Amino acid sequence: MSGPPTRSTERLRLEAISKRFGATIALAEAGFEVRAGEIHALLGENGAGKTTLMNVLSGLYHADAGRIWLDGRPAEIAEPRDAIRHRIGMVHQHFELIPPLTALENVIIGQEGSTLLLRRERQARGVAALAARFGFEVDLRAPVAALGLADQQKVEILKAIFRGVDILILDEPTTVLTPQEADALLRTLRTMASEGLSVVFISHKIHEVLGHCDRATVMRAGRSVGTVDASATTEQALVEMMIGERVARTAAPAEREVDDTVLLRVDDVTVAGRGGLPAVSHARFSIGRGEVVGLAGVDGNGQRELVEAIVGLRRVTGGRVELGGRNVTTTAVGDRLAQGLAYIPEDRLGDGALPSMSVAENLFLGVHRLARGGGLTYRPAAIRAGAAAPVRDYAIRGTATTPLGMLSGGNIQKVLIARALAVAGHGDTPLVVAHNPTRGLDVRTTEFVRRCLVDVSRRRGGVFLVSSDLDELMQLAHRILVLFRGAIVADLPSTAFDAYEIGRLMTGAAARA
Amino acid sequence: MRNALAEIAKYAFAFAVAALAGAVLVAVMRGDVLGAYRTFVWSSLGTAGGFAQTLNKMCPLLLGGLAVGLALRGGYFNIGVDGQIYAGAIAATGVALALETVANPALAPFAVVVGVLGGAAFAAIPAVLRAWWSVNEIFVTVMLNFVAVFLTEYLTTGPWNDVMAGEAITRLIPDAAKLPMLSVRAGSHVGIFLALASAVLVWLVLERTRWGFEVRALGDNERAARVAGIRTAWVTAAVLVASGALAGLAGAIEVTALHHRLILGLTPGYGIMAILIAVLGKARPLGILAASFAMAILLVGSDSLQRSVGLPASAALVFQALIVLSVLFVDAKRSVRA
Repeated sequence: MSGPPTRSTERLRLEAISKRFGATIALAEAGFEVRAGEIHALLGENGAGKTTLMNVLSGLYHADAGRIWLDGRPAEIAEPRDAIRHRIGMVHQHFELIPPLTALENVIIGQEGSTLLLRRERQARGVAALAARFGFEVDLRAPVAALGLADQQKVEILKAIFRGVDILILDEPTTVLTPQEADALLRTLRTMASEGLSVVFISHKIHEVLGHCDRATVMRAGRSVGTVDASATTEQALVEMMIGERVARTAAPAEREVDDTVLLRVDDVTVAGRGGLPAVSHARFSIGRGEVVGLAGVDGNGQRELVEAIVGLRRVTGGRVELGGRNVTTTAVGDRLAQGLAYIPEDRLGDGALPSMSVAENLFLGVHRLARGGGLTYRPAAIRAGAAAPVRDYAIRGTATTPLGMLSGGNIQKVLIARALAVAGHGDTPLVVAHNPTRGLDVRTTEFVRRCLVDVSRRRGGVFLVSSDLDELMQLAHRILVLFRGAIVADLPSTAFDAYEIGRLMTGAAARA
Repeated sequence: MRNALAEIAKYAFAFAVAALAGAVLVAVMRGDVLGAYRTFVWSSLGTAGGFAQTLNKMCPLLLGGLAVGLALRGGYFNIGVDGQIYAGAIAATGVALALETVANPALAPFAVVVGVLGGAAFAAIPAVLRAWWSVNEIFVTVMLNFVAVFLTEYLTTGPWNDVMAGEAITRLIPDAAKLPMLSVRAGSHVGIFLALASAVLVWLVLERTRWGFEVRALGDNERAARVAGIRTAWVTAAVLVASGALAGLAGAIEVTALHHRLILGLTPGYGIMAILIAVLGKARPLGILAASFAMAILLVGSDSLQRSVGLPASAALVFQALIVLSVLFVDAKRSVRA
């Protein structure tokens, strides 16, 4: 970082950047300007073009048209190397770290110069000093694989600033963090900005933008709609800029009718994890009709293992799982689905999507084992016709015959949710297990997905909502369970919802019975 | 529709490039370019005998291509088509020789069915290993090719050897075990109908049955198929066994319709060509049909070049490689532009 320039100095200007992918227009004359020492939010729905625009800036994509100005001079950024030369660093949503290497090695990789040990020691001291300066408490000697997501993110940021950057781009950095971690990160960014660094902060969380950024540029459908001062705008105004129309906030969870019918009972379930340690240990809870039960926890505390044990994708090493009173501990996935258990996997593309098959075929997957009549035969015309209603009701962009892989993440998620709800509708124990169902989705789709889940409970189905978004859990759930290192450390009724308290429980600060 | 036209144009272009390169090749060898082309087309398509030969060649290529293509749709690589062809041929020969004294005309279809089962059984080894123990099917099928070849060598030189011939071939199968000829004069047999029927069957199963849907889902994303409740292990096993059955049928036809005995060298690498055919045909039965027909023409045509124009037989392989390379090149070009 060079000396602290005055805050009003323009450091970066993107001018009328356009980019097409085939027939899709990703960016249409988008642009904005960033000053030295400011935290500038780039706000917008999924597919608004935020990441694409930043990928142009960091040299990953080549713009079809438009210009980039750095410190008042035109800059040519054709490949990532140019961006590094111009002191632009980007931390991607999916980290680009090498898991077996230590944090330190990841930071200095590519910067080692010659392989002399002396130099390496000096570099190590440099990295440690840098980390101390910004309050990054990371064990630099630990392999990245052993670090939590928050620490991995710190390593990514260290890596960027160790190379020397004047402009740091962060793509949705708080998605994986607890409220405390997110606050800490935003405070650190403020410190860095006060030393002259310009931060571009991609987000779709409006409260973060309002609370911690100086200015925000809102993007919509590949265009920049406008830039506003964070101190002079409101949440409603930003939402309107983002989506161009008013959206109703999600309905609160349904008033729960008193009903003791248990849909799911997880009884003393233990699941083996890596290295012999249990990933889930002695989990015990139940979900009744009409109930939304949330599971809070920092990613990687056994959520995936617990969910997969319930669905039947992972063997339990102890305990039992009951669906509607029936023991399904060793029942195959398909037979659990037939009872009405529906699963919305966290990894949409990996666990849910058939990318080269059509929307209609994707809607049919899973349901095909439940639909009565038809038997052995597969009738494409009927399946296309059957897709018309969900495509319309869920406002899926594309037609029944569009390959799923051509759709955006939000639309893929709509297909998976339509499918899951159809599965739940087929069985007599309708229970939807949703793992981070709104992660990475824009405001509108998020609201839609949440409303779908609330509707399930209104129709007296159950919902097991596993989410790393605490706001979402507090908004939708009747009860919140907190998972820490594989154990359920709290079962909180809605009267006890408190973001900071839950955050403390998530980080194990108060392991209580 | 535009896509289909683009596909056809692409292959036409690839063939043109290959033909041009072939002409250069012939010219370099100081051959008569036009004469070579005339011979090439005439010998494979222009005469009844030549056309019959093309159809006979197409039969194992089409079945092998379907075998590879079916496995490919389920997400697996069956590199063991050669071995499964041998397995089918061995089974068909075995039953035909064992029932040598039975003069019942049902022996021929029976031998073919046993051949199909032989191919299926041989493929069941990699199928089960893949489905329940996640053993890579590529390695297992490649290794089993050697097993099949050595077993064939043993049988053709050992217990079933035709002592009069002095070659690695077995005794002739009885007449009752022979499949009828399509045209005795031209020399074509009915195998091509079985192969064409198989292509229709594979298409029906893949596109018009729920099991076929599960196969396609598995091939597109195994994990998503499993999450959706499909019993992926069973589908995996079944698709690989079915693939082996198609190859077994090819082997049985080669024995009962063409050679009328088991011979070492029954398949001159049909299994490898089948991979090319399946890839060129995008693992779709119609594409595989077209690709196997083109490959058969190529094999028969270049074989005759050797006799009439004096080009080495390996010229066929060079041609093949040229076509495949140009198709792949055009493909790659298009995906870069997209």
